[in-house]
Amino acid sequence: MRTKFRVNGVDVELDVEPRRLLVSVLREELGLTGTHIGCDTTNCGACTVLVDGIAIKSCAMLAVQAAGSEILTIEGLAKEGALHPVQKAFVEKHGLQCGFCTPGMIMTSYWLLSQNTDWDEEEIKKQLSGNLCRCTGYRNIIESLKRAKELMTEGATR
Amino acid sequence: MSAPESLVKGAGKYVDDITLPRTLHMAVARSPHARANVLSVKGGMNAGDLQALVGGFGEGARGDVNRAVLHPVFATDAVNYVGQPVAAVFAADRYAAEDKLDEIDVEYEPLKPVTTIAEALSASPLHAGTRSNVIQQSWIGADFDDPSSPVVLEEAFTIDRITNNPLEPRGIIADYDGARLTVYISTQAVFSIKRGLCNTLKLESSNVRVVQADTGGAFGVKSALYPEYVMAAYAAMTYRRPVKWIESRSEHLAASQPGRGVEGKMKLLARTDGTVEALRAEVTTDAGAFGGTAGTFSPFFIAMQLTGPYGIERARVRAASVMTNKPPQGPYRGAGRPEAAFFMERMMDELADAVGMGADEVRLINTTTQRFTSPLGLEIEASRPFFTRAVAELKYREKSQSDTAGLSFFVLTPAVTPGESARIRVQNGAIDVWLGSNQHGQAHTAFVKRLLSEELGVAPDAITLNTGDSDTLKHGVGTWGSRSAIVGGAAVVAAARNVKAQVERMRGAYTAEALLDGSYDAEVFDKHSGQVNSFGANVATVRVDKFGMVTVTECAAHYDVGRALTPGVVEAQIVGGSVQGIGQVLYEEVVHDAEGRLLTKDLFDAGLPIAENIPEFSISIVEQPSSYPHRAKGVGEAPTIGVPPAVVRAIENVSGVRIRHTPVSPEELIADS
Repeated sequence: MRTKFRVNGVDVELDVEPRRLLVSVLREELGLTGTHIGCDTTNCGACTVLVDGIAIKSCAMLAVQAAGSEILTIEGLAKEGALHPVQKAFVEKHGLQCGFCTPGMIMTSYWLLSQNTDWDEEEIKKQLSGNLCRCTGYRNIIESLKRAKELMTEGATR
Repeated sequence: MSAPESLVKGAGKYVDDITLPRTLHMAVARSPHARANVLSVKGGMNAGDLQALVGGFGEGARGDVNRAVLHPVFATDAVNYVGQPVAAVFAADRYAAEDKLDEIDVEYEPLKPVTTIAEALSASPLHAGTRSNVIQQSWIGADFDDPSSPVVLEEAFTIDRITNNPLEPRGIIADYDGARLTVYISTQAVFSIKRGLCNTLKLESSNVRVVQADTGGAFGVKSALYPEYVMAAYAAMTYRRPVKWIESRSEHLAASQPGRGVEGKMKLLARTDGTVEALRAEVTTDAGAFGGTAGTFSPFFIAMQLTGPYGIERARVRAASVMTNKPPQGPYRGAGRPEAAFFMERMMDELADAVGMGADEVRLINTTTQRFTSPLGLEIEASRPFFTRAVAELKYREKSQSDTAGLSFFVLTPAVTPGESARIRVQNGAIDVWLGSNQHGQAHTAFVKRLLSEELGVAPDAITLNTGDSDTLKHGVGTWGSRSAIVGGAAVVAAARNVKAQVERMRGAYTAEALLDGSYDAEVFDKHSGQVNSFGANVATVRVDKFGMVTVTECAAHYDVGRALTPGVVEAQIVGGSVQGIGQVLYEEVVHDAEGRLLTKDLFDAGLPIAENIPEFSISIVEQPSSYPHRAKGVGEAPTIGVPPAVVRAIENVSGVRIRHTPVSPEELIADS
């Protein structure tokens, strides 16, 4: 099925088998392997990307359903080689250990921070509950999110 | 392992991110029965193509078992657990490979499975060529006449199985050029995989290269050789095309090697002042359907450590591993240490209640004031000074006032034996390092840079720790048992000193400039044996609501790490491990029904903790140096040892319900109310 969408600002048009998941097309056809697959039941969130500005699990959507959409993956976050503040914060605050859940965590965090809402810690934890991490125990991920907010505020006021 | 700066950009190279031209994707047909005779297998690659046995490679595994209990790569005339591989199919992409599973036709004759240790002990043997379902059994500790102790406590405990569930499942790519097999794999130990493949497929060591891909967590489950790895390698050699196998989460839950799954019967004889005079115990592991994995040997390791940090003079334990129709048991973070501590710490709490003492007081009286070798063979340093300070640092007295707190005390003995290898190569002003223990989230790079900049006086930026690759070292062990910073670190220091000596010989004196100016190469295998002690204590506080739902409100740790080479990483390890400890107590399990069918179908069923489950942490590090040149000890497993008994005691204090197993269900906490 001929399908068009925009990925990380680039127009893409390709033939897609209707049964293929968005995550499979991103990884296998477009070579965007930063979006990971950690489960087959939509639990883990390692495959989180933004579709039309909303964080979704790309294993829970067929690629053809994304036709006409604007997709942002982890590869599209750093601009001209410079890490996005969310990425910087994860490095600075040890928000990752093995790194496998990290792209999904960062995309969810990026989306949360783009909501421009003052989440308190309890709310952050709730919002992150669709993304699983087995290494960090989440604390440093939450710290990374808080730090990212600081960095983004500094960036905006500079 | 890619650096964090790459991983946050999605630029890591995990095994599924590696694509070789003409790759075939493998899908595996698995048994739907827990126990059945296999009458025929048609289609795919199967035991008609390859008959081989796996077992004896990786953490805690040994080769000395009856071959009749080893896991066949492809099932031959029988299957013994749901998920056991029977055949494999190959196609140009994963979707097509899964479609091809429909072409496999297996005729089964189902048999009544054995799913519990109790059933297994009375049932006829699962495997022909064995006399019973007990793989191994022995007594540890000299027998003794029971002292006439006034307090005698007997209890039975169960720790259910837990699936390791690293976020990245298992995976491999095998590639064969007609002479040499090259394998890219998600692993803790390239040398375990190499030895395993050579042994199973009868390959010359020089013809096999194993390269570690970025590895997305492991916790013990990625050290062993698995049937799927052998299949992929064999298929690559047969078809002369690269073969990729990426495990699905469902396969991980069904057919990786889960940890824990242990029963402990404890009998404590004590005086009324709380002094333990003797311990008798039985430790039995549900080893699953096949032997030669860590599950075969874990009961002996658990038994050896049962007396923990206490000076118990008499102890005798029966340790046995028993086969059931479930996947083979393997190591999960702690790998026997948490089980031993859980059994002993539960008894200490019960003893405290029986003699009317505080949980801290009864532990204190059993600590040692000098070095002590237990009747079971555990060597401990004086444990009293550490414990006394821990109780104060953790503010246990204060916290125990409201009856919401639990205390635990343990000794972690890292897996230092037989040592580890390291290689340092200096060329063109850059320092490359290879380590026999392969990192997969523990940030070995950080301690390697620190140790080398100290030893060699060079800038950390000049140092690169390379990915595990069996071609770059002669030997290597692996990452498990809280061993890397201690024995991996010691090997790095030894290699650095070797390089320094080379510089001195060449240039008369050592300077960092002289080093970077020349070309040097040094590989050492730094041998170690014996026991190192990292003491630790935890205090946990909990809340239990009217529905029996438990919230851990605070988790405090006081751990001796020898020397915190990278304090941020040490703390991150403690937090991550603590949440796994909480997971064991409150949420995690892998359940098979009486017919041996897997009921745990996804990560939610498996009970992985989520962000909302985490408590406040308060962590204090003690640095009592080890005798190693860089003074490090171990930490990775400390929290999975110490947190469960502390949380369980806190729940017991709040709910008034005696707890003898994990996980704890909400129902049991409100059954009486």
